[in-house]
Amino acid sequence: MSPETIALLIAGGILVGTVAFALYSVRRIKMDPQQYIVGGRSFGALFLWLLLAGEVYTSFTFLGAAGWAYGKGAPAFYILAYGTIGYTIGYFYLPHVWRIGKERGLLTSPDFFQARYGSKVLTKSVAVLQFVLIIPYVTLQLSGVQIILSIAGYGHYNATVAVAVAFALIVIFTFTAGLHGAAWASIVKDALVLGAVAFAGIVLPLHFFGSFGTMFDHVLAASPHWLTLRTGAAPQGMNWFISTVLLTSIGFYMGPHSIAAVYAARDGDTIRRNAIFLPLYQLVLLLVFIAGFTALVVTPGLKGPAVDQSFLLVVQQYYPAWVMGVIAGAGCLAALLPASAQLLGASSVFAHNVLGEARWTRYFVIVIAIGAFFMWLNWNQTLVDLLLLYYNGITQFMPAFIFGIFWKRANAWAVGSGILAGEIVAFYLWHHSIDLAGINPGFLALLVNVAVCVAVALMQRHRQAQEIAVPAR
Amino acid sequence: MNALARFLLAVIPAIMLTFAVPLANRLEPRIFGFPFLLVWIFFWVLFAPVCLYGVYRLEGRK
Repeated sequence: MSPETIALLIAGGILVGTVAFALYSVRRIKMDPQQYIVGGRSFGALFLWLLLAGEVYTSFTFLGAAGWAYGKGAPAFYILAYGTIGYTIGYFYLPHVWRIGKERGLLTSPDFFQARYGSKVLTKSVAVLQFVLIIPYVTLQLSGVQIILSIAGYGHYNATVAVAVAFALIVIFTFTAGLHGAAWASIVKDALVLGAVAFAGIVLPLHFFGSFGTMFDHVLAASPHWLTLRTGAAPQGMNWFISTVLLTSIGFYMGPHSIAAVYAARDGDTIRRNAIFLPLYQLVLLLVFIAGFTALVVTPGLKGPAVDQSFLLVVQQYYPAWVMGVIAGAGCLAALLPASAQLLGASSVFAHNVLGEARWTRYFVIVIAIGAFFMWLNWNQTLVDLLLLYYNGITQFMPAFIFGIFWKRANAWAVGSGILAGEIVAFYLWHHSIDLAGINPGFLALLVNVAVCVAVALMQRHRQAQEIAVPAR
Repeated sequence: MNALARFLLAVIPAIMLTFAVPLANRLEPRIFGFPFLLVWIFFWVLFAPVCLYGVYRLEGRK
């Protein structure tokens, strides 16, 4: 058999096997909206850990982080830092989001806005915005699958068709199995990704260089400043690093799919324990960086979006086809499972909050998937660039959650104007590529957002706060 | 006292991974061959869960 046949058969087998396993596991669950969207609020610590690890560590983790290590060097380290801070922040506010969700039977992120701020206009606007923002994230996963499958096909297959087939499989799976299915499939995905990353981050460098130190020596010999950040306002220098870590850690759980996972927890304590143990998964990222640096020395010369191929090319050129196949299978799962959760999140927001019919969620999964696929055909960005675009927008919802939980005076007008101001600033700065001392535009937008929100809330002294608000501690 | 300890445990790793990074932005000393900046970030990434566990214990059962 030719190498591409072996690799693609193995990758395809992994995909089909995982989907079959997950479908078998959920066969007895009756899929009403509660079960389908938030897993019946039944997930214990281990299951929630698997689901969140499945959602958080995506094809971006797999390829984008290695691609940045390869193409940019030290700025990639922000990826290691932000998740950790994101978990710490989540530890303190997510149990409250869960509690309000449980008390009011909430299904989606915009539902929180309805429960806390009591404004239909605000809720619907938030729903539409979240829906628009999540689509680039889904297309990001499709780009990941395309990179993986074209390399696993050794250039002999049309990757676009392969992506369409893999995506269709996952969409049908999402339609059938909902959030329970995503969690079960994550078991296989997490295990395979760990194995693949350990191979890429430990076996590759030791095979080629004998030790990690020698590998870093080679990187530094080629470019002495690759492993440190540029200072101050330089492009992707220190100002950028700090503001980006802050922005992305603050927005860490703001995706509608993450809020759905929070609602899926059995209780608040489950969420707290999760926030403690999930950061240990960050170890994977260190290995991914090492794989990216190794690829930089072994196969230098990739430019632009091609950097995302980094260590996969090394595997393709120097290892047998079955290794390529297993890694490709793991990579496809790492892209398609988060895509499944994101589709589910986007679709529940659209069906439940925009149209007012939670029961339509599963059908909109299919409609939205088709839309995302055609959008994806027309995009051409590196994975991290797409991700930062998403974070710029989605983080603007965070003040509404934090103020909503911890500040009685926050109201619909305040958080609404804050979000509007934040999104406008974020989009304007991004669209015109305006650079202010190297600071991440989304972070500046977040500052404007908070300032507007606080100012409007303080001006409206007479307005009564919604009674749900501030938690008893 | 308890509240202050919890606050510090939560905030210190976050500061070490953001505002303190300029202080750690160097290659030397290399540790097991790894550049210092990467070691610094990775250390705090691993230590943050320990701190958060400390917060959890200090909060007690709810």
